[in-house]
Amino acid sequence: MTTTTETDILDVRAAAHRQKRRRQIAYVLYLILGLILSLLIWQLVAAPFSPLFYLVPPPFDAFRHFGENLMFSERMLERYVHACPDLLDELELTGGGMFDLPDHCFGYIRHIMRTTRNIMIAVTLGTIFGLTVGLSSLVFPRIADVVTPIAGFFGTTPIFIAAPFFVIWFGIEYPLMTTVGVVVFYTTLLMYFFSRRAADNIEVGIIESALTLGGDRRSIFRWVYLPGTIPEIAGGFRIALAGAWGLGTLVEVLGIQMGGGFLIRMWSFAMGVLEGPAAVVSLILFFGVLAVVVDGILVLFIRYITRWSESGRKLGL
Amino acid sequence: MSTVVNFENLWCVFEHRSGQLVHALEDVNFRVDPGEFVCVVGRSGHGKTTLLRVLAGLQPPTAGAVKLGETAVTGPGSDRAMVFQQDTVFPWLHVKDNVEFGLRANKLPEGERNEITDYWLQAVGLEEFADSWPRELSGGMRKRVALASAMAVGSDVVLMDEPFGSLDYFTRRNLHEVLLNLWVETKKTIFFVTHDIEEALILADRVILLAEGKLVDDIAVNLPRPRNEDVRATPEAVSIFKLILAHLGITEEEATQA
Ligand SMILES: Nc1ncnc2c1ncn2[C@@H]1O[C@H](COP(=O)(O)OP(=O)(O)OP(=O)(O)O)[C@@H](O)[C@H]1O
Ligand SMILES: [Mg+2]
Repeated sequence: MTTTTETDILDVRAAAHRQKRRRQIAYVLYLILGLILSLLIWQLVAAPFSPLFYLVPPPFDAFRHFGENLMFSERMLERYVHACPDLLDELELTGGGMFDLPDHCFGYIRHIMRTTRNIMIAVTLGTIFGLTVGLSSLVFPRIADVVTPIAGFFGTTPIFIAAPFFVIWFGIEYPLMTTVGVVVFYTTLLMYFFSRRAADNIEVGIIESALTLGGDRRSIFRWVYLPGTIPEIAGGFRIALAGAWGLGTLVEVLGIQMGGGFLIRMWSFAMGVLEGPAAVVSLILFFGVLAVVVDGILVLFIRYITRWSESGRKLGL
Repeated sequence: MSTVVNFENLWCVFEHRSGQLVHALEDVNFRVDPGEFVCVVGRSGHGKTTLLRVLAGLQPPTAGAVKLGETAVTGPGSDRAMVFQQDTVFPWLHVKDNVEFGLRANKLPEGERNEITDYWLQAVGLEEFADSWPRELSGGMRKRVALASAMAVGSDVVLMDEPFGSLDYFTRRNLHEVLLNLWVETKKTIFFVTHDIEEALILADRVILLAEGKLVDDIAVNLPRPRNEDVRATPEAVSIFKLILAHLGITEEEATQA
């Protein structure tokens, strides 16, 4: 006969804990290994014997370029490119000029922050619009009857086709409208579709069960649809956000006078010369890393709010 | 606590995609008094679930009506809570919030809700799991959550569609006991669908037999309770058993061969 004692249970707990810790350490190790490998490959591609030698800067050059131009950029000043039009207007009233602008107006930082802000505003607005319409269509099915065909017509793919038109319409004069407009449009559609799909995927049996327990529209919305759709909506939000980084910078590349995408366009004319490749690669890399970091934080949050669901955890990963 | 349930000339006809008409229920008539434990027995596809769904208000009948007292059923409601054949526990709510769902929907004040929830969690033996997620429970435990949720809304009539069909023998026996205790205590009217004759003999006051959508027999089961092995081995019990078998179209030889 075996008896389980307090110490046995503690042992089991400690073992489980150790195992979890080991998994975490392994995860970090593999991550570092992956990063080192990527850097090695990058270094090889950028080596003098590589056919891409003139297009791909070595990693260290890209990092150094980014660091040197982040807060103030000599190159930008040479090209009379700054990111403070409002401040310049003020200065000109008192007889000042471009060279009186503070350093950070010529750094990448202001462009990057502008892009990041625009994308955040746009994704937030789009998510609010898309979810409001999508979720309220669950309570009032009429809304879905009207919206679904329209949303289906615009789809999410044509937005990439429509993006250049946004640039032409609002373009230079209302850059905020252009970036935010495109990303809001895209996020709204995506979040609408994802909330509808998430609701469709809730089993009919569960809704019927709620009905026989006395559930009405309100309580079923609050206790069934709202929590039940979270994993898929959260997954959709990650996709929307990941796409928004790309779409937001793409619009700037197409023809906005400020932001990270604009910097990329500016430098792309200097490809093959001096710092061109290093600048373009470092900016792309920066937005890539930013997107991954934001997504990582998002995953942690999603995992917490969907801890009831195994598949939710997987979706959140 | 005195709702008579009346099935009046109930028809339910489905048209399959091939255009073929299926009479899931065909002119079903019977009346159930308050507090009765009714088992609905029949072969697979012979209309048991349809009967319960019409009573639950989830399936409109083609003709005829189900009446609670004088009022015909027109839709689902918390006066006829149902435990489904499949797993319908809300995975995103803690066990206690699952049981509380019907009470919330019916807008009971919080104090009362907590009291009722605690009571039913204890009744099905899950008080220790009040704060667990459903995924942390076994299949049998989740069935108990569904049972507690249905019981907690306080309806006079409870519908159960093969609720224990997927469970192992021991869990099922345990849940029979739990269910019978709850029934004795609350005197609810219970409609219990099963294709397990043994289960019907353990639980029922009355067995309604469906074959191809028709009510073919209505058998009173006047055996003493508890219906342990000895009771089920008495000549009365055995003759009921054989009667049901015969209605299901299984002869005695087939039964003994099986
Ligand atoms: N929604 C539906 N649409 C079309 N036909 C249906 C529908 N629901 C049930 N039926 C048909 O009605 C008949 C009875 O089905 P029902 O689900 O009531 O059987 P059951 O006795 O519960 O069977 P089981 O023991 O397998 O659960 C079947 O022939 C089935 O095909
Ligand atoms: Mg059935």
